[in-house]
Amino acid sequence: MIYLFQVLNGIGLGMLYFLLAVGLSVVFGLLQFVNFAHGAFYLLGAYLTYDLTTRGFSFWLAMPMATLIVACIAAVIEALLLHRIYKLPHTFHILVTVGLALVIQEMVIIAWGPLGGSVPAPDGLQGVVIWGDFIYPQYRLFTIGLTAVLAGLLWWLLEGTRLGAIVRGGSESPSNMALLGYNTLRINTAVFGFGAGLAGLAGALAAPIRGVEPFMGIEALSVAFVVVVIGGMGSYTGALVAGLLVGVVQSVMTTLWPEGARLMIYIGMALVIALMPRGLLGRA
Amino acid sequence: MNPLDKPFAQLALVLVTVLALPLFLKSGILATEILIFAMVVAACNLLLGYTGLLSFGQGIFFGIGTYVAGIFLTRWSVPVPLVLAGAAILGAATATLVGWLSIRRQGVYFVMLTLAFSQLFYFMAYTFSGVTGGDNGLLGVPRPAIGGNALDGPWSYYTYVAVCFVVIFALLVMVTQSTFGRTLLAIRENEGRAAAIGFPTKLFKIEAFAISGAVTALGGALHAMLIGVAPLSNIEYHTSELILIMTIIGGSSSLFGSVLGAGFYLLLADALSTIWPRWLLLLGLVLVAVALFLQGGLWGLVVRGYDLIFRRDRAPNTSAEEH
Repeated sequence: MIYLFQVLNGIGLGMLYFLLAVGLSVVFGLLQFVNFAHGAFYLLGAYLTYDLTTRGFSFWLAMPMATLIVACIAAVIEALLLHRIYKLPHTFHILVTVGLALVIQEMVIIAWGPLGGSVPAPDGLQGVVIWGDFIYPQYRLFTIGLTAVLAGLLWWLLEGTRLGAIVRGGSESPSNMALLGYNTLRINTAVFGFGAGLAGLAGALAAPIRGVEPFMGIEALSVAFVVVVIGGMGSYTGALVAGLLVGVVQSVMTTLWPEGARLMIYIGMALVIALMPRGLLGRA
Repeated sequence: MNPLDKPFAQLALVLVTVLALPLFLKSGILATEILIFAMVVAACNLLLGYTGLLSFGQGIFFGIGTYVAGIFLTRWSVPVPLVLAGAAILGAATATLVGWLSIRRQGVYFVMLTLAFSQLFYFMAYTFSGVTGGDNGLLGVPRPAIGGNALDGPWSYYTYVAVCFVVIFALLVMVTQSTFGRTLLAIRENEGRAAAIGFPTKLFKIEAFAISGAVTALGGALHAMLIGVAPLSNIEYHTSELILIMTIIGGSSSLFGSVLGAGFYLLLADALSTIWPRWLLLLGLVLVAVALFLQGGLWGLVVRGYDLIFRRDRAPNTSAEEH
């Protein structure tokens, strides 16, 4: 029974990791740009949710607002700063986004203090679900459902719509897209905002589960890296499979070896890389 | 090539730095810290500037050196030279393993892997707190002694570190000047071509990692003896980030750039952190500014200044020169 509980926890956690990794992946696919500030956007999403709910807003309003604010901030940063550095070697992409992550993290500490806080589960989801002798928190079940719906929507958006086709076209040949009359600069800004928004949303959803603290961003960034290294960057299925795997491993290990649960994520990654250098799905 | 990039010029600059720091700095601890990080950053530069490998995992090796010093000096009182050798060997071994796994992927995947490995080693140190002291670290790491006198004064330990630093820096310069170092440059410029000529490029990269890991771990051990503690923070993500930031700010086209990068960062940190605890916000802005306006780093600035003063005829196209 405890394993079922942990596997469900792991799926919920894994879906959040998936959201994070897909955001990173989409941005990389289009812009060939690794965003080291991705974790900082997750941090910001969580803190904005914390702030809005402590001001008395309902979680149901706070979550989409936080996501939208993060997406807008990221789009502004892209339009003002990042588009200038795409042509530089990736050392400088990393330098700039590490710098941005520091700025965001320090601003979070200035605004909300270094200690962090907790976000209560939203109204209507504070109770538990009971099946026979199995008890599970409603909010966690809700995040699994919501992220599953979002995952479906994302898949449709990226693979089935004109918008997705534009993004994929842009990642294959920006110059051809420009030739066809698309404003690639504007597409880049929108996609960067979208990717950061996914990180912000993951942060907003994670806030009632794990609380908020200023260094949660770095942890999220490195887990997102593990997911894309195992699953393959630019691969939707890879991010989903690897995200779920990492989430479930972490949760199940919390029961077996609590101190070493997070260590096991990285050991697992090292094993995958040692045995399957191309990652689980063998792409890129 | 700029005359300042020649090996003897680099060594002369290092000697001047070592002799000048005590004249300009009041704190021997700060001066010692600058030399330790200068050594560690130069080792990172061997990977970034000379091999084209951007490693986000240098904190792993620094932390390992720290713990080797912490464990062997506090529990068994092993002689310091042996501890330093042990740190270097274990650092090289770990770097070989991390390098072997990380270079299986290239470009940004490589960077992400090194960052993930830095988290792996951090959680390992955190989890096995019986060995590492966990959050508290290992307390009471003694300074080395010479002729029975422990080097407890800040400037006497500075001298000890300075000797290590000059020797290590000279060795690194020799490495970059050797055939091995030239081959690393060839790999950085065009790996496919280096492999086609017949160089085992993976082996060369792993060897570069091993050298870098050995020097970084040595620096970590010296750092633990400097502050008297082997703290968990030395193996954290932040240490890796710090080393990388110093390397890029200093400029990756010359080893002495790394000395500038370490000095600039630590002096800035020393000046600002007392005034404003959230000074990292300013550092973030500095990083953005370096990427936009100072891509050659501080060393690039020095070279440009030198050309402006001494070689007016060549000043306009310095950036197009090869190293």
